[in-house]
Amino acid sequence: MAPPAQAHRSPSPSQPSGKGEVSDLKSQLRQLAGSRAPGIDDSKRELFKKVISYMTIGIDVSAVFGEMVMCSATSDIVLKKMCYLYVGNYAKVNPDLALLTINFLQRDCKDEDPMIRGLALRSLCSLRVANLVEYLVGPLGLGLKDNNSYVRTVAVIGVLKLYHISAPTCIDADFPPTLKHLMLNDPDPQVVANCLSALQEIWSLEASTSEEASREREALISKPVIYYLLNRIKEFSEWAQCLVLELVAKYVPLDSNEIFDIMNLLEDRLQHANGAVVLSTIKVFLHLTLSMTDVHQQVYERIKAPLLTLVSSGSPEQSYAVLSHLHILVMRAPFIFASDYKHFYCQYNEPSYVKKLKLEMLTAVANESNTYEIVTELCEYAANVDIPIARESIRAVGKIALQQYDVNAIVDRLLQFLEMEKDYVTAEALVLVKDLLRKYPQWSHDCIAVVGSISSQNVQEPKAKAALIWMLGEYSQDMQDAPYILESLTENWEEEPSAEVRLHLLTAVMKCFFKRPPETQKVLGAALAAGLADFHQDVHDRALFYHRLLQYNVSVAERVVNPPKQAVSVFADTQSSEIKDRIFDEFNSLSVVYQKPSYMFTDKDYRGPFEFSDELGNLSIAAESADNVVPAQGVEANDKDLLLSTSEKEEIRGATFNVSGYSAPLYDSSAASVQSELAIISSTSAGSAPSSSLAIDDLLGLGLSAAPAPEPASVPPSLKLNSKAILDPGTFQQKWRQLPISLSQVYLPFLTLILF
Amino acid sequence: MPVAASAIYFLNLRGDVLINRLYRDDVGGNMVDAFRTHIMQTKELGTCPVRQIGGCSFFYMRISNVYIVIVVSSNANVACAFKFVVEAVALFKSYFGGAFDEDAIRNNFVLIYELLDEIMDFGYPQNLSPEILKLYITQEGVRSPFSSKPTDRPVPNATLQVTGAVGWRREGLVYKKNEVFLDIVESVNLLMSSKGSVLRCDVTGKILMKCFLSGMPDLKLGLNDKIGLEKESQLKSRPTKSGKTIELDDVTFHQCVNLTRFNSEKTVSFVPPDGEFELMKYRITEGVNLPFRVLPTIKELGRTRMEVNVKIKSVFGAKMFALGVVIKIPVPKQTAKTSFQVTSGRAKYNASIDCLVWKIRKFPGQTEPTMSAEVELISTMAEKKSWTRPPIQMEFQVPMFTASGLRVRFLKVWEKSGYNTVEWVRYITKAGSYEISWFQLLGLGKPCTTRLYQYAKQFDVTG
Repeated sequence: MAPPAQAHRSPSPSQPSGKGEVSDLKSQLRQLAGSRAPGIDDSKRELFKKVISYMTIGIDVSAVFGEMVMCSATSDIVLKKMCYLYVGNYAKVNPDLALLTINFLQRDCKDEDPMIRGLALRSLCSLRVANLVEYLVGPLGLGLKDNNSYVRTVAVIGVLKLYHISAPTCIDADFPPTLKHLMLNDPDPQVVANCLSALQEIWSLEASTSEEASREREALISKPVIYYLLNRIKEFSEWAQCLVLELVAKYVPLDSNEIFDIMNLLEDRLQHANGAVVLSTIKVFLHLTLSMTDVHQQVYERIKAPLLTLVSSGSPEQSYAVLSHLHILVMRAPFIFASDYKHFYCQYNEPSYVKKLKLEMLTAVANESNTYEIVTELCEYAANVDIPIARESIRAVGKIALQQYDVNAIVDRLLQFLEMEKDYVTAEALVLVKDLLRKYPQWSHDCIAVVGSISSQNVQEPKAKAALIWMLGEYSQDMQDAPYILESLTENWEEEPSAEVRLHLLTAVMKCFFKRPPETQKVLGAALAAGLADFHQDVHDRALFYHRLLQYNVSVAERVVNPPKQAVSVFADTQSSEIKDRIFDEFNSLSVVYQKPSYMFTDKDYRGPFEFSDELGNLSIAAESADNVVPAQGVEANDKDLLLSTSEKEEIRGATFNVSGYSAPLYDSSAASVQSELAIISSTSAGSAPSSSLAIDDLLGLGLSAAPAPEPASVPPSLKLNSKAILDPGTFQQKWRQLPISLSQVYLPFLTLILF
Repeated sequence: MPVAASAIYFLNLRGDVLINRLYRDDVGGNMVDAFRTHIMQTKELGTCPVRQIGGCSFFYMRISNVYIVIVVSSNANVACAFKFVVEAVALFKSYFGGAFDEDAIRNNFVLIYELLDEIMDFGYPQNLSPEILKLYITQEGVRSPFSSKPTDRPVPNATLQVTGAVGWRREGLVYKKNEVFLDIVESVNLLMSSKGSVLRCDVTGKILMKCFLSGMPDLKLGLNDKIGLEKESQLKSRPTKSGKTIELDDVTFHQCVNLTRFNSEKTVSFVPPDGEFELMKYRITEGVNLPFRVLPTIKELGRTRMEVNVKIKSVFGAKMFALGVVIKIPVPKQTAKTSFQVTSGRAKYNASIDCLVWKIRKFPGQTEPTMSAEVELISTMAEKKSWTRPPIQMEFQVPMFTASGLRVRFLKVWEKSGYNTVEWVRYITKAGSYEISWFQLLGLGKPCTTRLYQYAKQFDVTG
């Protein structure tokens, strides 16, 4: 363990800089080392305290190692503990000096006082110096056989520590079988629990190399072991109970009788005051009954009350941990929690992370009977002082509307939001109205009337502006002023910072042109001209594409730009059900909080892309500042999407490709909605595809060489049309291969989309 | 694995390390720097108590002016980690005797290191029971209690081995006077509309117990909850006595309570730990007796004046009284001047929280004090945002009153020596989040919209 280095901040008066003090300490310790005067322990204590406090604030006090060891000959237990702590901290950087301590630690391991034996053994194993492991085996072996349970608990963990310092030594000394024996026979439950933790760790690490170890690991979840542990579960401490329950959750019972036996035995654990025990029990129940649908349902009903209690008791952090789990259950079975929606109402002074989860759950449990109340409650939050929460609430209202319950009332509310005249409320509501219209075109008349009265000057956020523009284009026949609003927007082309908005503006003008040609013709010319002169590559390309499309054949152009649209029936989930099941398997762990399976955040291979894309982000920014051509915001937005899409590979973000112009504005949380929409688009416009695709290949200037465009590495070069690729072909190939297959599968529809 | 914590840090609000204890080597370098730069010094601090940086996850919790951070590198059990922190803090508090803050940590850091060594080994939680730990870690800690007299060394966990199940109680306790104190503490959470209709309401209660009993007593607690009473009348085959019974939505118990017996017989029986502990927690949503009703009205008088009237009605028994009643009525930021008339207590304007604060020290039952206030606002050009009226909040304590109606029917103590015990029971109801909203912001249907619209307009004009 490296000593905590002094952080990069100026030393404050209370934190001495170190040097002088350390040498002072050294000489004082030296004086005390040999002395046997009465009361010497008290002065030693003061000095030791100083040393430890320096160590804590990050001053390197390893220089007094020798003196500390010399002073350690004492019978004062507090002194000993301080000394052990110190030695444990610095032994690793001073392996030679650590040898000095072996002697007194070994002597203490044979002390008559079990406390001292335990302490010494723990410290001995905490030295973590590889060349000292030979001194560990003897005391550990004795410790495991000690007649005092405290020493045994320490020794068991000591074996695990030894394994981490030197696995072969631990295996050769035959410690794992000893632990197994202890686990199954020791009268002290803490010893049993520690054996279980140690064996789980050792055998799962060994399992990759040794068949025997993997057999042993399997044996841990065999019937005899599980039953043995379950029968003793009431003796265990709350933490050990969590450990055992976690193991039981992995056990596969033979028949339903066994399942019911286990559940009856564990039933009372749901009443335990420790939330972690309750959650572990719930995990066992859920996993045991997975194959029995009706019992599974009953389990949900049964665990509802304890979960809701846990949520309302304890600190916000604890309720957050519980809420995350409740969240995943609500998402799996919203109907079971539908009548409890009031529990998910937010309280005024709850932290926002709790509120956010509650909002999601409110959205999920909404059904015919409670939609009205829920939406009323959500509307209250829209006026919340906490702006992010207000935004989330409005989004929640929109999501409920998309779930099809009582849309009537909801559309009314959303339109009321538009009238609230708060920028962020208007912005969120606009995005939602746009999504609603895609699903319920029949509402267009009511919505358009209100949307038409919104001044485009009051809408600044790119997403909201894009939504507004999309509606202007899509419903230009119903909106009196549409061409004129588009005209004024086009006049301000230069001032518009967001490429997304400019892309939408282009498309909207095109749509409007086909619906109201005489009024729009002039605007269309202006927009195309502005687009062609645009610095942003995508805007430029799209303008060029429209331009040539119009030149090629106006009626084909109309079919491409204004095809008859079907209403979107379902906005697809962002997460695949496979991933959701993975997370459910890992119930009661971090996966649930992060809402992604553990391999995504613990496995090095999956964390890899993080660093990888970081470096890329720097690269592309460097490239951009070098030629300073591309509007910064666009590139940054792209970078962000890149980071997201590489870190969460399963969610492919449409925004990376900037193909959103054809469809309604995409926002990144609905990556999958892109896919479904793409499918629709590609099917509706399939007729025109063959005729135009070849021409467009040429026209876009993108040969098939640009095909791997979605690979993050290639985006910066693709902006510059591959003239100077950053990656050499070899590296590119390699990185390209690392992408999951799903990406390339999804990519195909994208390509087709780009191409017509 | 439940929590294999790699390290635990105690930081003050500036980010200085007060205590650090590294349990494992699997987190590299100085994680505390990562925490400081990526969480503490950013706006992210309040957004989520669990964060991932690099390959490590950070769980953090603020307790008074200290952050406690647990670092893990694996897919750990979150609930367990937070519970561990909470329990550890409770343990430290029982050692320091009260407060847990930066000063207490600085003054006791050797003790904390000692405790951290005992309560967690190599990242696995060990024994956190103060009862047992106090046997061998003493605040004075002068000498090991064992070394002086090797003959009668009490082994840690000895009781556990002897009795099989009572890890939380030592044997051989002797008190001259055997006493038990029961405190039933309830907090009422409420959201009420301005018209007095209850939007949501629940009570979370806990029974705190202080035991000073000799030997190994067996206790049995009887409450007036429905299920327990029904079960009892079933067993004794005689009808339930008339009287109010209440329905508990859910109950959790201290580990000392025999849960099997609770499930089969619905009685709360236990061998209590010595001293103070939380026996049970419960939750009730139906049939809550609200101690107070609040009726606020607000009148806008032109652009810069408001009139606020609040009437509070105490609906508990006339012989009882509430203590420390505080009503916080939010007013707009640009409040300039206020004047009050109250029939009871004192009221003033607190600019730092933008609230009219009305305090009534002693509030008898069945009374209806009122407050009327006039508020003058500065008309500013800058403040263009309309005022999002936060709810009125209320604090109070009502002794000898339970919002749930829960009563202790009996507490029986058995001990083999057959001593007499004195039992004391107290009840108190406190405000949890007791909120009264000013008005339905977005009501149902059109009329409300127009009203809202008017409000927004009015404030725009003010601005």
